[in-house]
Amino acid sequence: MRPNDRKYSQTHEWVKIDGDTALIGITDFAVQELSNGKDSELVYCDLPEPGRMLSAGETFGEIESVKAVSDLNAPIAGEVIESNVAIEEHLEVLSKDPWGAGWMLRIKPERKSLDGLMDAAAYDKFCASIKH
Amino acid sequence: MTTWRLITTWNASPAFNMGLDEALLESSDAAPTLRFYSWKPATLSLGYFQRVADVPAAQDARSLVRRITGGGAIHHQHELTFSIAVALDHPLYRGTTAESYERVHGAIASALRRFGVAPELRGARELASERAGTGMCFHRSSELDLVWNDRKGVGSAQRRKRGRVLHHGSIKLGTTPLEGDIATLEGVARGTTPESFAPALREAFESELGLEFEAGVPDALERARAQELGKRFVDPAFVRRR
Repeated sequence: MRPNDRKYSQTHEWVKIDGDTALIGITDFAVQELSNGKDSELVYCDLPEPGRMLSAGETFGEIESVKAVSDLNAPIAGEVIESNVAIEEHLEVLSKDPWGAGWMLRIKPERKSLDGLMDAAAYDKFCASIKH
Repeated sequence: MTTWRLITTWNASPAFNMGLDEALLESSDAAPTLRFYSWKPATLSLGYFQRVADVPAAQDARSLVRRITGGGAIHHQHELTFSIAVALDHPLYRGTTAESYERVHGAIASALRRFGVAPELRGARELASERAGTGMCFHRSSELDLVWNDRKGVGSAQRRKRGRVLHHGSIKLGTTPLEGDIATLEGVARGTTPESFAPALREAFESELGLEFEAGVPDALERARAQELGKRFVDPAFVRRR
């Protein structure tokens, strides 16, 4: 069951409001898609420097698995406060804990509204629809 | 059924080759596209995230680019290079990344069999073509790679961006000095050229994947974007950025 305390994008990122900031990461579906279920298949990840302004949908980084490089896209607009650079050297964290330790960005959101993004139930359905 | 566009550009420059592939990746209104191409001059391409220092052959390469797809370095000589640019919701790419490789590699294997080799997915086996420390694509492998004679013979990588995918593939027809003892067609179909292999691969995509192709060319916008984007791939600031 995916957490209900956050919203989800169609490009498989999640965003969770945390006080005045918001945390952004990628979902278990994205990790599975990239890694084919194996930690060792994730090889590189580039995250942005603090201070960068992101608009909603903008590419903020890239992640490489053994067989694909994929963009990471911001679900909402805001300024990057912190990047979880620790995961760049420990990508297995994304498989083990995509919802917690695997967070990628802490941003100061332009707006706190997460309208237009999916809740966990809608995202579950979305994932089921693209698998088949 | 959607008819795919088949673009063929032989002996094109490294900047054009990479620029056109990125333009096709961006070209979301175009028909799904399969492109066959070759390189002049022979060129070493680095994977998107590779460090130049990790690829000894890059130190004195006469022609060097960095791809937007990942993986290891490839010496583009004596090979058919192909790219596929299509939406990720196309049936060919639906499901997992691994499933998409299995479909595409199934078609490539079918084409290769016509030339007398018996390719298989690597699976768990160990290959004789593995080499540590070269940074070369053909010297390391994953279980989805196509192999014959216990060596890797097809290099492939994907870039996924904004709901689309660019799939790069290199099918080795002959050996290259930088790649050495890998799987090629040399022992069984010596003299096979990119031009003579391409029709078999097209037919295999049709028979194995149920696709239909119509020969086409990049439109004016794609050509302009290819020219603009192509500059980056040979710019030292991009090629040597890592």
